[in-house]
This record gives sequence, structure tokens and C-alpha cells, in this order.
Amino acid sequence: MTLDLTGAGRTALGRDGRSETALQARILVVEDDADIASLLGRELRGLGHTVDAVRLAEDALQAARGNDYALMIIDLGLPDGDGLDLVREMRRRAIEVPILMLTARRKVEDRVIGLSCGADDYLVKPFAVSEVRARVSALLRRPSRLRGNRVAIANLVVDCDALEAIVEGVSLPLAFKQYQLLELLVRRKNHMTPKRMIEETLYGFDDEVSANSIEAHVSKLRRALRAAGVGVNIETRRGIGYRLVDLGVAAAN
Amino acid sequence: MRQPAPTEAELEVLDPDGSFRNRLVEDRARLAAVAAQKPSKTKLAELGRIVHQLAGAAGTFGYAEIGERAIALDDKLIDGAMVAEVTPLVGDLLAALAAV
Repeated sequence: MTLDLTGAGRTALGRDGRSETALQARILVVEDDADIASLLGRELRGLGHTVDAVRLAEDALQAARGNDYALMIIDLGLPDGDGLDLVREMRRRAIEVPILMLTARRKVEDRVIGLSCGADDYLVKPFAVSEVRARVSALLRRPSRLRGNRVAIANLVVDCDALEAIVEGVSLPLAFKQYQLLELLVRRKNHMTPKRMIEETLYGFDDEVSANSIEAHVSKLRRALRAAGVGVNIETRRGIGYRLVDLGVAAAN
Repeated sequence: MRQPAPTEAELEVLDPDGSFRNRLVEDRARLAAVAAQKPSKTKLAELGRIVHQLAGAAGTFGYAEIGERAIALDDKLIDGAMVAEVTPLVGDLLAALAAV
């Protein structure tokens, strides 16, 4: 997989991939036409965004698994598969990032199919770069609540509306505090979650928290995840907190 | 009315290192080679690959005339046109590419 991580405008990203301070975002471009990918990269970096570019659907799935993107631009005709299938797979994995679909297919029915399968917007090639800039900005302005409320890591999906953790389509039986802990860790996947933050999430002001209660919840959650075959690990930083990582991504790195 | 080819100023923005222009030259050679082949499904498929990419990219880089001719040919190929039917359009596209 080739990831171009050299873009200008790199910035600290919030949990949904957006900058904490400005509308600078990390964007994944999935395009097999090297000239188009290069043009998009230049334009988006010029706006201050960070751009990763891949040319295969398989690489796009891997990149999406290991990074928090604020937007994806996906071409429909990829060498290893149809971009429509890639969008469907992204949505099946609860990757709720806005997707701008790019294609040389010009018929109305193609655009309808593209939007129906989970894309948020559709741009027909040839396109004007000014239109790409405008559409990207519009998609990045959308509030995150419009982008669904499911978060995912590895083979685990957390449905924050249903308060349910799902592993390959099967609901994981968890006590409510374990669910709360899991949701927090998945939302902050790959980032260290301080113990204090976990306490504030799991307990109210007036609750009494015993010295090892967080450790106990983490231990139970680890067992439940392992028993269900979830491909993640909860790493411990003694005295600091916990970090949830995708075992597949960790192994690849 | 759109210009048939990009201006110098547009090229500086859209194709600063000239890689797309070089690709058009290569595409013309590939297209001419395929056009010279005997009619077959393989010929149509290869023609379709080259033309579909050109239809998507040429206009984006400011080559409006090439893009429009590629789109006209691409639409015919997508609709299942036979080799004889698209031969004049291939000629039109090759002529536009020759001007690059």
C-alpha cells in the first residue's frame, strides 16, 4: 500500500478526523488515475488538508481501518473492484465518513445508484477543480450527527443509538458499564484514554469509585472481547490510562 | 464557449510537470495501435479502457476537445456499438490527440 503522508497542512485532528481549530481535515483519495489523484492531492493540500492517496479498494479499506478520515473521495472504476462495492463495504463496517464519489459514468441511473449505496455526493468526470473544492468544503461543513452514530474498529461495531456492541452481526452481551467503557475506547481508538476520563464517563459526581473499579471493568471487558473473537487489544499504560488498538493494524505496522 | 485546449496559465495549475500532456501523447500511440488491429472483442475492450480514462480525465486537465470526442466515443462503446460503428469517432479522437 502506498500512502502519501507528506501533505502540507498537517494538523492535530479531533476524534472525527477534523481539526480542532479549523476546517482542515485528513482526506483519503481512492483513485487509480495517477494524474487525477495527483491533481486532487495538490488542490486539497493547497486548502490545508492532509491527503492520503491509494489506488486499490483493498488499500482503501486498510487505510480506513487504521486512520480517522474526515472525508473520502472514491473513484468508481478501481483496478481491483467496483467503487460502489467499496462504498457499500465501508458502510457495512460502520465507517460513516462522508464519501464523495468520482466517476466517468455520466448517466442519471449511475448517479442514483452511487448515492443509494451510501455515497454522500457524486461528481462526474471531467470536473472543474473549483467544483471539487466547493463540494469538499460543503461535505466537511456537515455536522457529525448527520454522519450516523456508529463507530467501529476491527470486526467490532458499536451502535451508540442502540447502545449495542456487535461482532460480525452478533450482539455482544455486556453489562452497561462495560458497554460505556467500550464505546469510549472505540471512539478514542488508537489514542490513550486517561483513567480520569473513564471514571467521569462511567460514574456520576456522587458515585463512590473504589480504587480498582476501572481495572476490574477493563479486565471484564478484555475477557468479553477475547471470548467473542474481537480483533482488538486494550493496552495499559500504568498510571495513565488505556488505549484500544486494532490487532490487525498493529501487526501490519 | 470552452477553449479546445488549456492555456499556459491553466497548465501551470492543472499539469505543472506536464505528466498529463505526456500521457496524451502515449495514449495517442496506444489508441492508434489498437485502431490498427483487426476487429475483435479484445480490441473493443482495450479501446474502451483507453477511451474511458480519456473521457474522464482530458476535460479535467483543460483539454476540452479531446474530452468531448472521448466522451462521444465512450458513450457509444458503453452502449455496445460495434467496431465499424465507432471507427469514425476513433479517427476524430486521434486527430484531436495529434494536436497536442
